[in-house]
Amino acid sequence: MQAEIQINNSTTPAARYLTWAPSPCRVRITNPAGSPAVQLRVRLGTRTNTGGGSVAFAAQAGGPYASTLTVTVPVNGQSVSFFVRGVFGKPSSGDRDVIIEARARSAPSSGNWRLLGTLPVMVRIRKNANNLTSGERTRLVAAFAQLNDQGLGRFADFREMHVNQSSPEAHGRPAFLPWHRAYLLDLERELQAVDPSVALPYWRFDQPAPSLFTPDYLGVSDALGNVQLSATNPLQFWRTDNVPGIVRRPFFDPGQAPAGLRTEAQTLALGAQYTGFRTLEGNPHGSAHTSFGGFISSIGTAARDPLFFLLHCNVDRLWAKWQLQNNRFDSGVAASYDTNNPGNKTGHNLVDTMWPWNGITTGDRPPFAPGGALASSACVNAPGPQPRVQDCFDYRGSVAAVAQMGFDYDDVG
Amino acid sequence: MAKKRKKATRASRKTGGRKSVPVGRARAQRVLEVPLAAPDLLPALDILRDPSQSVDARLEALQTIQAASFALLDFDSIRPDYIAALRQAAEDQEPELRQRALGILAREHDGFAQEALLEGLRDPAKALVRPDKALQLLSYDPHAGVYPIARDIIHTSEDESTRREALRVLAGDPASAPVIEDVLTDKSEPSAIRRMSASALHALNPDKLQRWASSAVLDTDEDADLVATGLTALTQFGDAKAIADNKQLRKRMSQLQQQGPAKIKQLARRFVKKYEL
Repeated sequence: MQAEIQINNSTTPAARYLTWAPSPCRVRITNPAGSPAVQLRVRLGTRTNTGGGSVAFAAQAGGPYASTLTVTVPVNGQSVSFFVRGVFGKPSSGDRDVIIEARARSAPSSGNWRLLGTLPVMVRIRKNANNLTSGERTRLVAAFAQLNDQGLGRFADFREMHVNQSSPEAHGRPAFLPWHRAYLLDLERELQAVDPSVALPYWRFDQPAPSLFTPDYLGVSDALGNVQLSATNPLQFWRTDNVPGIVRRPFFDPGQAPAGLRTEAQTLALGAQYTGFRTLEGNPHGSAHTSFGGFISSIGTAARDPLFFLLHCNVDRLWAKWQLQNNRFDSGVAASYDTNNPGNKTGHNLVDTMWPWNGITTGDRPPFAPGGALASSACVNAPGPQPRVQDCFDYRGSVAAVAQMGFDYDDVG
Repeated sequence: MAKKRKKATRASRKTGGRKSVPVGRARAQRVLEVPLAAPDLLPALDILRDPSQSVDARLEALQTIQAASFALLDFDSIRPDYIAALRQAAEDQEPELRQRALGILAREHDGFAQEALLEGLRDPAKALVRPDKALQLLSYDPHAGVYPIARDIIHTSEDESTRREALRVLAGDPASAPVIEDVLTDKSEPSAIRRMSASALHALNPDKLQRWASSAVLDTDEDADLVATGLTALTQFGDAKAIADNKQLRKRMSQLQQQGPAKIKQLARRFVKKYEL
């Protein structure tokens, strides 16, 4: 007998990635040979490689979740649905480090459970960049370098999305947070096309991150502000705007956190209304940018530095924490967004599609739209190829499962 | 203007020219207030422009305004005044303020800043910042007419940092590829200079860099950092078929996995794993 397990209701390996949110899954008997009955009791469980992630199973999306789940599966090949999610606090550190197993009793009253099938998966979670393992760091910088491909790769689109001319699409108005959420997700999915085990980490700029600013990771700045990388770091071939290298000059001791930034607690205390919370765009967001000189300290050049994406990942994480704290996943709730702001230009209203993914280059949009549609995912369907502002709120599917965007944070449970 | 620049340069020399990151100037742990509307930035703009204010106060004002540029809908309403203040600060006597102001202007491809930086490279007496910094800032706009100067610096300067910045600038100039290749293959050049040349050549002629990388890995007398750079280039950007067909390289990888510095062994293992040799 053999069973097939499908994660995210798909047979493709690219779909075998989980977050804290429930993923719809299936199990079916593909080879009933030797089965004495028309249906089998199949027990789903896991074994985990050392340091690997942990998952839990449930018959329904709402739970209850447990480390094993027993379902009745017909032997005629019909699928049975179940749900899997990562166990909060136990993300994977490597690709496919959790093995899901399907077992059935060898005989009706036997205590021996025979293995019918296995499937390796990963609990792929965005983590604190300072805490990544050596393997995670190596895979991240390699994926960034590959995406950049000495300035000729897909990264050039992301660099061109975030320039002075496109700034009104992304800054100074309410869609600052939704726009950057889509932007990060688009980049993360492209990184995952290079290496599916990569999740974008976040730089907690209100805490010291001594492990981040090292030659093997995002580099050490010299007195001139040039980022020094080890000879083994593929980011040494980083190139943007026809110029190799990264210029980043910290105005703080890189072993400490920058001074003057709002802490996480202070940011989350900006109020339960989006209109108040989004003032984080100045401090800590803007202040984190300008705690350096170099690329990252000006809108037009910030995206030339990979650190920029880790900085914004933390801004997005702060929004996710605020959403959880105040239950602001539903864009239809007035306090979740600055809906009635008369200053909202096109692209900042909930129902507006966002540039550049919508491809619109007329009216008050920029006259160019690099990169095409937002990258798709084998795990989820949201936010779609041309996301609207309102598609970027319910990232974990709290309001509607279909809205899941396929990412989560290690400390937003 | 020239008179002011001379004054600024004298100040720069007095303070030792290049400054390290001013950690000692870190403000106390208080939250930096970033105004929510452009008119509220006017006091910070006044402080930035006022030489009687302390340098710390002026740097903090600069950081506040620049942070607000990321967030304010109406920032454009004060942008002309901000640019004017930056141009004024670019010629200030305080080198740190000068450097930061020039950095912001250079990232905006500001013509005033570019001309001032080029003028300083042509005539050191008029320099607002060190030549390596000037080259770095001019690299924000590779079309700023800096290429001839940078090529000259490669041959004439003895300062490693300045030559490295010249190489970085030249990475955007196809006509400079032979100069860059010469530096890369010259084993008498410092390792850091040759590694920058590798990055620059990679940008201009990836095929040529791949050929150099193969030869560097095969060269048992090559500097370990250059071997690591070559191995990284081959692993990250190499042509799988060409590598599979290169018997010498495959044999060398087997050796490097077993001997040499730990970082080389690790890279060789990564290479072998990637290409499934």
